[in-house]
Amino acid sequence: MSERSIPRDALGLGLRPAHYPYLFEHWPEVGYFEVISENFLGDAPPPRARLAAVSARYPVVLHGVGLNLLGHAELDDDYLDSLCRLADRVDAPFVTDHLCWTGAHGVSHHDLLPVPYVPELVELAAERAYRVQRRLGRPFGIENLSSYVGFRRSTMTEWDFYAAVVRESGCWFMLDVNNIYVSSQNHGFDPLEYLRAIDFSRVLQVHLAGHTREPDGTLVDTHDHPVSSAVWSLYAQAWKQGGPFPTLLEWDERVPPMPEVLAELAKAKGARA
Amino acid sequence: MRAGLAPEWLAALQSGFGAVLRTPLDRSTGTLRATLSAYDPGTLGEILDGPHGRAAEHLAVYNRQYWFRLFGVFQTAFPLTSRLFGHWHFNGHVTRFLLAHPPGHWDLDRAPDGFEAFLADAIGDAAHREALLDAARLDVTWRALFRAPSTAPFRPRAEDAPRLLDSRLVPSPSVAVVVDRWALLELKSSLAGSGGESAVPLPSALEEPRCWALAREAGGIRHLALAPREAELLLLLRRHTIRDALAALESACPEPERAALPEQAQRWLARSVERGFWAGLTSEGEGQGTTQV
Repeated sequence: MSERSIPRDALGLGLRPAHYPYLFEHWPEVGYFEVISENFLGDAPPPRARLAAVSARYPVVLHGVGLNLLGHAELDDDYLDSLCRLADRVDAPFVTDHLCWTGAHGVSHHDLLPVPYVPELVELAAERAYRVQRRLGRPFGIENLSSYVGFRRSTMTEWDFYAAVVRESGCWFMLDVNNIYVSSQNHGFDPLEYLRAIDFSRVLQVHLAGHTREPDGTLVDTHDHPVSSAVWSLYAQAWKQGGPFPTLLEWDERVPPMPEVLAELAKAKGARA
Repeated sequence: MRAGLAPEWLAALQSGFGAVLRTPLDRSTGTLRATLSAYDPGTLGEILDGPHGRAAEHLAVYNRQYWFRLFGVFQTAFPLTSRLFGHWHFNGHVTRFLLAHPPGHWDLDRAPDGFEAFLADAIGDAAHREALLDAARLDVTWRALFRAPSTAPFRPRAEDAPRLLDSRLVPSPSVAVVVDRWALLELKSSLAGSGGESAVPLPSALEEPRCWALAREAGGIRHLALAPREAELLLLLRRHTIRDALAALESACPEPERAALPEQAQRWLARSVERGFWAGLTSEGEGQGTTQV
């Protein structure tokens, strides 16, 4: 269990290399940082040194993209060992990853891929997530995806599937409201109905990000724009329904100067009013 | 809670889905387009049509993401090589490499491992082959230095003196010696952060190769100019005892330079130690050569 804690209403930022020059010169006021776990699991000294400098000044939480919770193969023990060591090194208050698969049959696709929503896979994901949390010895949050396909095999809604995995695993929601909105537009469901399925007492963190609308109308979770007004509205609804919760902004591509990113993050305070 | 095994159907579904993701993008129109007609019908049968298109169009989002993400990773890993080819042609080589060697590890940065060797076969007798391969080797060296573990620099102690000459210096993993025949290092530096995609002209061959030490420091990778004979000594020291390296250097040295060589060699050796080019001293036999560009 971490000695560090994050206030329930904290505002955090996804730390990206584009931020380093400004960050290391100004050390701005930020509630906490989230880093992509895989970028720091290796032994390369430069990323390690940067992370050590950041974690000496701010709480750092870990956000993974490579756990492969719903891959058909078992979880990767070496990966989990590395993740545990990293979490210990930064004393992460919590660790998160996605309700998805990322690779199969020896190939890693490096994408967050959906599965059919069926009870059989609730069991699989919950059992694995339970083991991950136990091994980490700290809270483990599971993030909902942005998705672009739905499966004929699905017998549950995404939100029922997600809620069941969190409930049965004893883990936590890492709720991405941009992802809810993106998927709602791509699959034609009501995002408010999704929110109503969430037990906010089990929400570890909420993510915000921007998306892109393709010419055919598909929304893609690109993290390269400011948060859309529709997503801010959904965030405000989530806050009303279940706040406070730590809130984090992700901006991964076409990253503007850090003060602009922090200004975007600060809009969350207004959305809570 | 019982340990969950994935159902058989999930393995089959993920196999088919993965194959769709890895379907190469069509280059025939001069832009990269998903080839929906190539998607596995069995996988398409698993996917629902949606509000914005049919099943194949939805799958194409993932298909494009797979390739564009990896193109970006390879361009980052091979910034010089990719600009010498131009991104369009470089991506063509990346596509062929990934079809033969899809990424197998959770660490995305490992996906380009082995690409340099693939490229050596792939470009055959193409014009400028040697310069292109030197560029790829320089990019590989750069990545290796970035990822190399930190080691304390070797600082000789008084008690090392008696065994010094008959020992071999252990190279620091965060230092490389490169011999540049095309001014590629300057080109690489000038392209850093330029953000372009088009092919840049290949530099002409230099009349005399330039020699550099690349050293990873806290602020990044620094390059230090070396005299050609100094570079030769550093390369010899990586493979031989200090005594043998000095002897080999002397025997390769033209007569007119030979008189000044011992003093110069001592100075180069001392400077390499000061700069932290070595991680230790060993009495073990032959060492490994180093990447030369």
